[in-house]
Amino acid sequence: MLRVICALLVALFFIAPAYGQNAFQDLVQTHAPQIIKGSVKTAPAVIADIQATKSPAATRFLQNWQSKDLWYRRADDLIVTVTTDDNKTYTLLGLADQSVIGTAQKSEIKQIKPNSGLRGLLGTALVGAQLASDDLATRRSSLESLARDPAPEHLAPLRAALNAESDVDLRAKMLRLERLLTLQYDTDTDERIAAINGFAGDLGLDVRARLNPLLDTRLQLSQTPPAAGTFARMINPANDETLSVTDAYDMLVANGWASAKISPDDKRKTLIANIENGAVGGVDIADLNTDENRNIAYAALVDAGIAPVDVSDADIINAVETAYFYDTYSEQSPAVIAAAQTALKRINTKVGISQGVDLFLDGLSLASIFFLAAIGLAITFGVMRVINMAHGEFIMMGAYTGFVVQQVITNYTLSIIIAIPAAFAVTFAAGVAMERLIIRHLYHRPLETLLATFGVSIALQQLAKNIFGTQARPLTSPDWLGGAWQINDVIAISWIRVAIFVLSILFFLMLWFTLNKTRLGLETRAVTQNPRMAASMGINPDKINMLTFGLGSGIAGIAGVAIGLFAKVTSELGSDYIVQSFMTVVVGGVGNIWGTLAGAAMIGFLQKGIEWMNPSNTLAAQTFMIIFIIIFIQFRPRGIIALKGRAAGD
Amino acid sequence: MQGPLGKFMLKHPSTLVFLGLLSLFTIIVTIGSEAFGYGFVSTSFVKTLGKTLCFCLIAIAMDLVWGYCGILSLGHFAFFGLGGYMIGMWLMYERTRLIVINAAENAQIPMTHQEIQDAIGTQIFGVVGGSDFPLVWAFSHLFWVQLALVVLVPGILALIFGWLAFRSRVTGVYLSILTQAMTLALALYLFQNDSGLRGNNGLSGLQNLPGLESTDQSLISMWFFWASAFALGLGYLLVKLIVESKLGNVVRAIRDDEARVRFLGYNVEVYKLFIFTLTAVIAAIAGALYYPQAGIINPAEIAPIASIYLAVWVAIGGRGRIYGAVIGAAVVSLLSSWFTGGQAPDISLGFYTIKWVDWWLVLLGISFVIVTLYVPKGIGGLFDKFTKGAEQ
Repeated sequence: MLRVICALLVALFFIAPAYGQNAFQDLVQTHAPQIIKGSVKTAPAVIADIQATKSPAATRFLQNWQSKDLWYRRADDLIVTVTTDDNKTYTLLGLADQSVIGTAQKSEIKQIKPNSGLRGLLGTALVGAQLASDDLATRRSSLESLARDPAPEHLAPLRAALNAESDVDLRAKMLRLERLLTLQYDTDTDERIAAINGFAGDLGLDVRARLNPLLDTRLQLSQTPPAAGTFARMINPANDETLSVTDAYDMLVANGWASAKISPDDKRKTLIANIENGAVGGVDIADLNTDENRNIAYAALVDAGIAPVDVSDADIINAVETAYFYDTYSEQSPAVIAAAQTALKRINTKVGISQGVDLFLDGLSLASIFFLAAIGLAITFGVMRVINMAHGEFIMMGAYTGFVVQQVITNYTLSIIIAIPAAFAVTFAAGVAMERLIIRHLYHRPLETLLATFGVSIALQQLAKNIFGTQARPLTSPDWLGGAWQINDVIAISWIRVAIFVLSILFFLMLWFTLNKTRLGLETRAVTQNPRMAASMGINPDKINMLTFGLGSGIAGIAGVAIGLFAKVTSELGSDYIVQSFMTVVVGGVGNIWGTLAGAAMIGFLQKGIEWMNPSNTLAAQTFMIIFIIIFIQFRPRGIIALKGRAAGD
Repeated sequence: MQGPLGKFMLKHPSTLVFLGLLSLFTIIVTIGSEAFGYGFVSTSFVKTLGKTLCFCLIAIAMDLVWGYCGILSLGHFAFFGLGGYMIGMWLMYERTRLIVINAAENAQIPMTHQEIQDAIGTQIFGVVGGSDFPLVWAFSHLFWVQLALVVLVPGILALIFGWLAFRSRVTGVYLSILTQAMTLALALYLFQNDSGLRGNNGLSGLQNLPGLESTDQSLISMWFFWASAFALGLGYLLVKLIVESKLGNVVRAIRDDEARVRFLGYNVEVYKLFIFTLTAVIAAIAGALYYPQAGIINPAEIAPIASIYLAVWVAIGGRGRIYGAVIGAAVVSLLSSWFTGGQAPDISLGFYTIKWVDWWLVLLGISFVIVTLYVPKGIGGLFDKFTKGAEQ
């Protein structure tokens, strides 16, 4: 008994799908004549019937139908899909689950080829089916593909799906796409205007991509004036930027309303072809080295009937003046155009404001980079008055320290956390060593400090090249610093830049506190202003100088890690920043970290501002910025924030 | 010896010694050259020597402005480069014009002026995607104008820059940084493709003198060598005349204590401006002689680093003594080309081979630190021991 039940169960298991297949296949077969014939009139009923099964086979069937992958057997109109290896013998596959039904020769079967109207109908049905699918992921992906390549006929299924959609997020996206399609494709003008007005002030790129085509114009020309109201604007080629007289004349020629001007090259060829006894048209060849003589010779050829008459410049101007050139909108409804213009105007205003904010953020970010690069100098140069040309190389050493740490520790977050103190330690040590070995001997010869530290700079740069090679080394940022902070469709700022901004603020606070509120800061300022007096008060100037210089260098090392995260780490990393860093300190005002802040802000915003005026050319922006700084120094030789009184030194 | 110059020579025999040695050197090279003598000095080495003489000339200018006037300019290579660009424009224009005309020789009808211009423009500016002549090339077809511009353009730039800098009393390291900024700005500007001077391609083919295609390079290189030697001699004499004159005394006083000289009633700014502009012009002349020997000029040549090397030469040679600058420039630049040219033998330490191409800059940097720290008078300081009695 048990055995019988088992056998029955097994049989049922096999029969069940077979039954399902037959059901779908049977359903299709009932419509076989209409499917094979494929008329737009009968198809909607068939499609609706098949879609009513809501099975995956139905979707696949419609896709196959649309892509001309359906075949039928001539003998019994059995509709199938096929595969073939040799284009002679075909394997027939069932519609429900693509199981093999049999084989057939090429002559026994025939492909079903729906016409384009029917294929459009099928496409719409498919979109509708996918949008109405029970699976959320399918609905989402089909909406995305629809947004990429929308067509007027998608509007109806989209609206149907919109009403049925339960997911709030997806519904919002559908609604947006529906509005976009409405403003572009809907047949009702009022609907379209309502949709356009709904988007006024929306920053999305998709909105602009749909609105702009509404205002597309086409250049037209006619010999009679166009009727009022049928054109966007009249164009007078004589004083118009978009259409030159030459181009306008070319349009006339293309329309067959004027004869083409003979190019100087063609004229030359004609002259060469008609050389007789060392002369053309009575002009000696040797004299043909001016346009004037060439024209005389050519005119002679024209008179002789050998060459075609050329069009004179006056003729061209006349011809262009007698014709009418104007732009027409491809959009028919004036009300829609007006609405689109208003909406775009408001959008553009908002985009402009956002771009201004974006520019401000860019400037802020650049300023914080300059500040970070210059803050070490603000101490060594600004406070101690030591010109350290190797400052850039300390930045580079910091960046390479970060690189080495990353080679050992592969977790990026951890390695950055370790790299920052490591870089500080390395460059602090280098700074102290340099102060002890070189700089302390040169405190009274500032110009020579410049030269000696320059010697250190080229030696360090070449050493880095020998150790790490000339190719750029990557310093990878952790994932949480990847990507950008997207504030709206226009304003975006990468997280690394945000981090650098935060870091520079931190540095500023830390340094300000150290210099103004701690014992070390007090002693540093005392030693800088008057080393002898400081020494007589019990301060050890040697120690203070050493520590201060080490601090300035160490900060350069940390800046190196930060800069290495967004710039490529090479041995030239430092020299890219050295001149700007010095200028930041000088422009801001020496001896004062508020000054460095002001200098970095000015240089950063200025450079971004100039770049904005001429975006294609960052080199020119840097040039103009430097020239501006040279002029600026004329008016404030001591920088934006100048020290007064005794603290100013000399 | 007759006349004031003769008296000057007798008073300062070092000048005579220098000019004598320079003449001797020139004669030896001439005898050794491939063009006029036994050929033991190759043409490429004649060019190297000629270029070195140009470096010596700009080093003299640097010594005058830094060693005597106390202005550490880190921008004099900008003037050197500008001089090269000015002469390079004529060389390139004229040579391209001859090529175009040669190519048109067999054309059936002669070219118009406009066609020639267009062809030259396409040849010169094709690399930067243009064919029209920018405004700065307006005089490139006139040799004498362009020759005058060699002096005028850098001179006027130095005059404007110096006037701006000195009138606002920018001194010391601030001035150094400002001059560095100037040369950086100029280099960055020239790096653009639409600067009108072929962007980072620079001007090339300058070693070919227009109209002298058939003349061998060995001969041309000697002409430039002589010209460089003559210019160096003349420059030395001029600078020596200046520093030994009353003007020279004021200039040195400005270096030692600017404020005091101002209080004595001298217009310090005018003196500084004069020295700054004069040295810029000397630098430009050196550049105009250098680049036809080098054959190519591009904006990288006037990057700030070049001007710093200039300071290095003068410091190593010894500031405040003109022959020191000459020695420094000659020794360091020749050594540099010897080491980086791969001619110096590598030193094998067993576990590591010191390749001089890689280590020369490290050596230069360290020796520079040592010279600054322990030999502030440079190589020239060694000569003081012998010349002290004679000079005073």
